Amino acid sequence: MYSAEISRANPTCFVFLLDRSASMEDAIGRGEGQRKCDVVADALNRLLSELTIKCAKEEGVRDYFYVSAIAYGGAGVGPALGGPLAGRDLIPLSEIAVSPARLETRTKKIPDGAGGLVEQDVKFPVWVDPVAVGGTPMCRALNRAQTVLSGWLNDHPSCFPPVVLNLTDGEANDGDPVIAADGLRQLASADGAILLFNLHVSSDSNSPISFPDNDATLPNQFARTLFTMSSVLPDHMCTYAQQQGVATSGNTRGFVFNADMTSVVQFLDIGTRTSDLR
Amino acid sequence: MRAFVKNFWVPKRGNSPGEYEDAFWVGSAGISEGELDQSVLRLSLADGASESLLANRWAKLLVSCFGKTDGAATTAAGFMTAYGDATSQWDEELEGYKADREARGSPIQWYEEPGLAKGAYATILAVEFRDDSEGESPAWTASGLGDSCIFQIRDESLYSSFPMSDASAFSFQPPLLPSRQADEAVLLRHVCLTASDWQPGDSFYLATDALAAWFLREIEQDGRPWETLRDLDTSDALLDFPEWVDQQRDLGRLQNDDTTLLRIDII
Repeated sequence: MYSAEISRANPTCFVFLLDRSASMEDAIGRGEGQRKCDVVADALNRLLSELTIKCAKEEGVRDYFYVSAIAYGGAGVGPALGGPLAGRDLIPLSEIAVSPARLETRTKKIPDGAGGLVEQDVKFPVWVDPVAVGGTPMCRALNRAQTVLSGWLNDHPSCFPPVVLNLTDGEANDGDPVIAADGLRQLASADGAILLFNLHVSSDSNSPISFPDNDATLPNQFARTLFTMSSVLPDHMCTYAQQQGVATSGNTRGFVFNADMTSVVQFLDIGTRTSDLR
Repeated sequence: MRAFVKNFWVPKRGNSPGEYEDAFWVGSAGISEGELDQSVLRLSLADGASESLLANRWAKLLVSCFGKTDGAATTAAGFMTAYGDATSQWDEELEGYKADREARGSPIQWYEEPGLAKGAYATILAVEFRDDSEGESPAWTASGLGDSCIFQIRDESLYSSFPMSDASAFSFQPPLLPSRQADEAVLLRHVCLTASDWQPGDSFYLATDALAAWFLREIEQDGRPWETLRDLDTSDALLDFPEWVDQQRDLGRLQNDDTTLLRIDII
């Protein structure tokens, strides 16, 4: 299980659920005043960027993944991306690559080769902007993901199991998201059940938590609910998490609290990985 | 020494031949095949990492530098000389690529910049055969970094296996040679060297990871994988190489990856 090849002939699907409810206007704990909606929009832009860079080859970006980005908030549940991709439900990664809403220039600190750091301008593509309005129809969003993936799995029954990544503060107000998540996690390809991961942004100022294997240290009920909803990491993903310094066990979940989750892109095998020798 | 050399390669299923990212070098010209009679015969094999950009260009550059460098397969110093030659040519290669893209009206895009800045990566295996014409016993040496392998068959059994000897040790993360000059001390921790003898009648098989892993798995199950490989392109073969690779992939015995074999029969 969880060993199917990810290729252009056998692509898989990445579904992002983006919480755009009014509560996302609040500041994140320990975030120097950054709003939760800023954090999740930034996280989704970075995830899409990392996924695109991972699949870039000389002739362009290979369609190893198809992407669905679904927003939920006061405007209801619907496609999240802006710019030329606005209104689109399921998009091949090569189109994601060439159609960001805009390209910003940001500065990044990189090693200078002499033990220090230097600032360098890098292009930062933006597909989504922060929005925080109205209620939190998370259950409807999970149901929407289930609809998208039911269709996908019908067409791609042997694919590597799709990944759903929910970026939220967890304050659902349209029912019990645990039930909706249970339904979603029942979907499976021949290679295993779909994987539901949650990135929790919270106003609580507790320390960040990445990929826990129990809920004892989680600071609030929202975090515990999202932990419960999250899939257990398959073995090979645990191995990659360990390489990034995360202690794992057989119950490690795809859940982070006020922490970066861009690393999840590196949990997916599309070929020989590159890393510098140590 | 006289040897009959033959190469076989197929790209990963689903990829075009232009997307093949292994590279190999045989003899003084780099692509010799057939019967060779040389006092020194060098071969090299590289496997460009699929998660890097320009992996094929880097693999080609590596095999030419290792194929042309005396001692690249014999000593750590020789290995570093060949690697240094390759990295010193890389910037020019990269600038040429960027200029070509500009000229074609297809400039580098934002999603390519990080990969080009990071550089390309590949495994390398370099092999050198020397005959006994100078009073020395016939010997071969090899250097390697990563999981491209050489297997020596003598008297219908596996005589040498380098640098891998365990099929379970193959992974998506082998050590790789970067196109950006790596720290020498770090690099040398991963460079493997070996030396052994050869005699007429020996056969050698150089293989990139998918085929090398298959070879070792067959050995571990008391199989004789060389029997299959030596029959390729002969009248005893039931399938040609691409057909055989397809069959093994369908049976789940061979990882779907670029697959390269260099077969050397010492005459």
